[in-house]
Amino acid sequence: MLDTSKVVLSPLYRDRINGLHEDKLKINDIKMKLIGHLNFDDWGFVYYPDFKFEARPNHPSGIVCGYRAIGEHIRRFMHEMPKYVNVNSALGGAWIKPITDYVNIGIAPEDDVPKELKECWHKYHTYPGFAGMNHCAGDINIGLELGWGGLLKKLRYYRELNNPADPAFYDGEEDVVLGMQEWIAGVSKEARRMAAEETDPDKHQNLIEIAEMNEWLIENPPRTLREACQFIAHFQTLDRTYYVGGALDQLDEKLRPYYERDVAAGILTDDMAVWYIASVFFNDTHYSQIAGLTPDGSRDLTSRMSFIILDAMHAIKIPVNIAIRVHDGVNKELLRRSLEYTVEDGTGVDYSCNIGIEQGYKKNGYPEGLARTRIKVGCNWCCVCGHEYPLQDVTRANMGFALYWALQDIRNESERSTARLFELFCKHTQIIVDSIKQGYDRHYEIMGRNRPEVVYNLFMYGPVERGLNCSEGGVDILNFNIDGVALATVADSFAAIEQRIEKEGRITWDQMFEALDANYEGYENIRLMMKNINRFGSPDSLAEDWAYKIRDFYVWACKHEGTPKHHLMIIPGLFSHGTVAELGARLPATPNGRKNYEPISHSNEPDPGFAAGINTFAPTLKANAVAQAQPGFGNSAPLHLDIDTDMLSKEGGIDALIALIHTHNHMGGTLINLNCLTEKKLLEAHEDPSKHPDLLVRVTGYSAFFASLSKDYRQQIIDRFLSKKY
Amino acid sequence: MEICYGNIFNIQRFSVHDGPGARTTVFFKGCNLHCVWCHNPESIPSKAVIEFYPQKCIGCGECFKVCTHKVHLIAPDGDHLIDRQACEGCLTCTDTCYAGALAPVGRKVTAEYVVKQIETDIPYYQSSGGGVTFSGGEAMLQIEFLSKLLTECRKKGIHTAVDTAGNVPREYFEKILPVTDLFLFDVKAADSEVHKMLTGVHNERILSNLYWLADQGARIFVRIPFVPSRNGSEMEAIADILSEIKPELAEVIPYHKLGAAKYAALGLIDQCHDESTPSDEEVEEVLTILKNAGVNARKS
Repeated sequence: MLDTSKVVLSPLYRDRINGLHEDKLKINDIKMKLIGHLNFDDWGFVYYPDFKFEARPNHPSGIVCGYRAIGEHIRRFMHEMPKYVNVNSALGGAWIKPITDYVNIGIAPEDDVPKELKECWHKYHTYPGFAGMNHCAGDINIGLELGWGGLLKKLRYYRELNNPADPAFYDGEEDVVLGMQEWIAGVSKEARRMAAEETDPDKHQNLIEIAEMNEWLIENPPRTLREACQFIAHFQTLDRTYYVGGALDQLDEKLRPYYERDVAAGILTDDMAVWYIASVFFNDTHYSQIAGLTPDGSRDLTSRMSFIILDAMHAIKIPVNIAIRVHDGVNKELLRRSLEYTVEDGTGVDYSCNIGIEQGYKKNGYPEGLARTRIKVGCNWCCVCGHEYPLQDVTRANMGFALYWALQDIRNESERSTARLFELFCKHTQIIVDSIKQGYDRHYEIMGRNRPEVVYNLFMYGPVERGLNCSEGGVDILNFNIDGVALATVADSFAAIEQRIEKEGRITWDQMFEALDANYEGYENIRLMMKNINRFGSPDSLAEDWAYKIRDFYVWACKHEGTPKHHLMIIPGLFSHGTVAELGARLPATPNGRKNYEPISHSNEPDPGFAAGINTFAPTLKANAVAQAQPGFGNSAPLHLDIDTDMLSKEGGIDALIALIHTHNHMGGTLINLNCLTEKKLLEAHEDPSKHPDLLVRVTGYSAFFASLSKDYRQQIIDRFLSKKY
Repeated sequence: MEICYGNIFNIQRFSVHDGPGARTTVFFKGCNLHCVWCHNPESIPSKAVIEFYPQKCIGCGECFKVCTHKVHLIAPDGDHLIDRQACEGCLTCTDTCYAGALAPVGRKVTAEYVVKQIETDIPYYQSSGGGVTFSGGEAMLQIEFLSKLLTECRKKGIHTAVDTAGNVPREYFEKILPVTDLFLFDVKAADSEVHKMLTGVHNERILSNLYWLADQGARIFVRIPFVPSRNGSEMEAIADILSEIKPELAEVIPYHKLGAAKYAALGLIDQCHDESTPSDEEVEEVLTILKNAGVNARKS
């Protein structure tokens, strides 16, 4: 019988976790003052503004590139960077900033893409994905089983076995591991130094334990839950330092054996375990999943460890990026507990939907058992950890610009219709998609020799064994993702033209162009006329039909063939992170009433305020639209729900939300990002972020301190929330 | 489905407080009570009405051009005035108001259209034990339309609830009882004179219907709007009635001010503008009264 009870913290661990929470707020406050806003999650780094690091370029262009140079820089960086130890934490170390803030690690000019491709990307404001980093995930078990010493031995074994003509791969990877061993030794030394000065016996003892644990981990694999957590924290430090990676793994399942062994040995209590996990969260906000199906689909993975992870998240009350993989048999208590925590104080998880993700992934030709292991380890994206190079979330195919150029084409034509406009839109969308595919071919050819994944290579099956970067055959599964954006912006624009110009005849094409050219200045009534149609998300709307049509073409453009040269597999997605303001920043006014440079729509979601007439806003209205407009091949197109806490805190509120999550899963949705907020607190925090420094919100697939976000990002949350009420 | 029309003003999906589970609540136009605390004053007239939000008006003048009833007037100071007596509810003006300053309340729809909207959320009803709730206004005043909707929903296996104040002929209840799974029955006062003062009508017929429904074995949730200064003194007597009726549940609905803005938009006077929301302690006292009478009660 699975123990699902809440962990009761003893005063010692409660105080330590509270101390970590307070320290996180202080660290965050300093970061905000020195850096300004952060439009990502907390990232966990401790900023040392005075730290200096010498870059040693190895290319005439002044950049650093390739295995050896990058490995050398990482080793030296890990050796030199300050060793942070927090006396309230069970673990030592923290990262300080990405190495790329100190070193220009780049692509050699001779390996860059042709000028014409760059011009195309510029014309359509495309985020091409070429040279994108990370966005893949390792299997942390590889490291947990071998330790840093074992990883070094493995590298040396395969170096000798393969005896490559150019051993740069192994040189670089060895330096990374040696750098980590030096870093861990440094952390241990710092813990001992602090222990010598510590007068509090409990704190002294904790620092000694951190020092001893790290001394062990320099060479050896972890033996206990605490050591496993320390290994993970160091992995997070390294992963963030080199290119801000954020992917972890199926955390509950990877830690479960350590937990069970320690409990059986009588050296671990649940509140200690909560403290360990809270310390991992304090260290960083890497993405991980809990629960989900076993590969054979026979049982749910929820364990006592899953509950401990939730309780740690709830106890420390800082941004944490945990997803629950929802399926019909997911542990009911786990799901309910997660929602209760979200309602209580925003320390919740997001919900990765198994049906949309697994059935979608299968459509790419993969077996269902493999699809079940494709877990959520990014803000919106999933990966078969250790086996797949999925490169998601690094592209943006801005369909708003495809529409813009289609409008420029049609204004010079004598026959104007939405049918003709759609033809032109498809032409431009295809150009955008094809240009990204061309860039991916180049990416595949040159990344290994320029910016190899020297961290993830260590934690994947194949790269070390083959001496190949994971992007170029190191792993067996290569997928390249293209994310389309502005679906609702474009669908609403088509619907507005069809309704107001073609069906009702209220304005002409020329009048619309005049209004667009003037950015609607002096044409407010036309702007409102175009805006206030039944927009995407409204039942039976023209815009809904356009959204499906646009989605279908976009998916076809991505999917009907791979990249032109190497025939690499493409998986289409519809996702925009939180960058809807940035993505709209160069886009002129659109026929949906959007003015110059205003944000575009997010993901495949309806725009805020889409519900009108007798169909007022409801979470299900939005959820239905998002589920039905999925790209459908296993990459997430998330649903964001910002729900008034007052509604959910009443009896039956949580039950309704559980029903909504399961139903969205069954309707083909892929990810649910949930905020439970009160209007009062949100508006107060927007007005004066310092008033609520610990208000946690879910921006998209990641959580963040509301106060850390820029005004644009805060406004997105406000718009989403308030549009449902008025 | 044979064509059957009705007047509604809102379809609210994922409603979690109008019966069990996640529900779609369909709000009917028209009510024969005039409760002083009504938070849906737009529901009372049976015909369509317009709401006016002057802060959204961009002064385009389109509504003046299209209105043939001279409803829209310009005051000497330039303000946009509305002559509501002249309004026939044609809603031509709201069609041209892209700014959303004029919003229609009420729309004539077919039962087929409403059922189609309801059935889109069937998966949510199935996973939550929810269904559809017909509310208002007074849904039972459009008995043919309501009966049609209930029948069609029943055919599709959708759980049905009717939220009613009960002030309708007994035959109406007889007609819909076979196709209604749950009644959400309002009890606003026990004393008939108090009831008339608060709602404009006596309550003999209402209570008679409630007793009859209970005798038929209908599943009933009683809903008690609680406005301390208006019906607070009625709670003991209401508890006595409910101890006889024995509803499955009694929900106490504390007065709230969410309807305040609507009064202004409709050009109406909010008779409860100085009323405050009852405290948790006051609500708890009412719950205790009900529970002491053997009634299963909770706060809504």
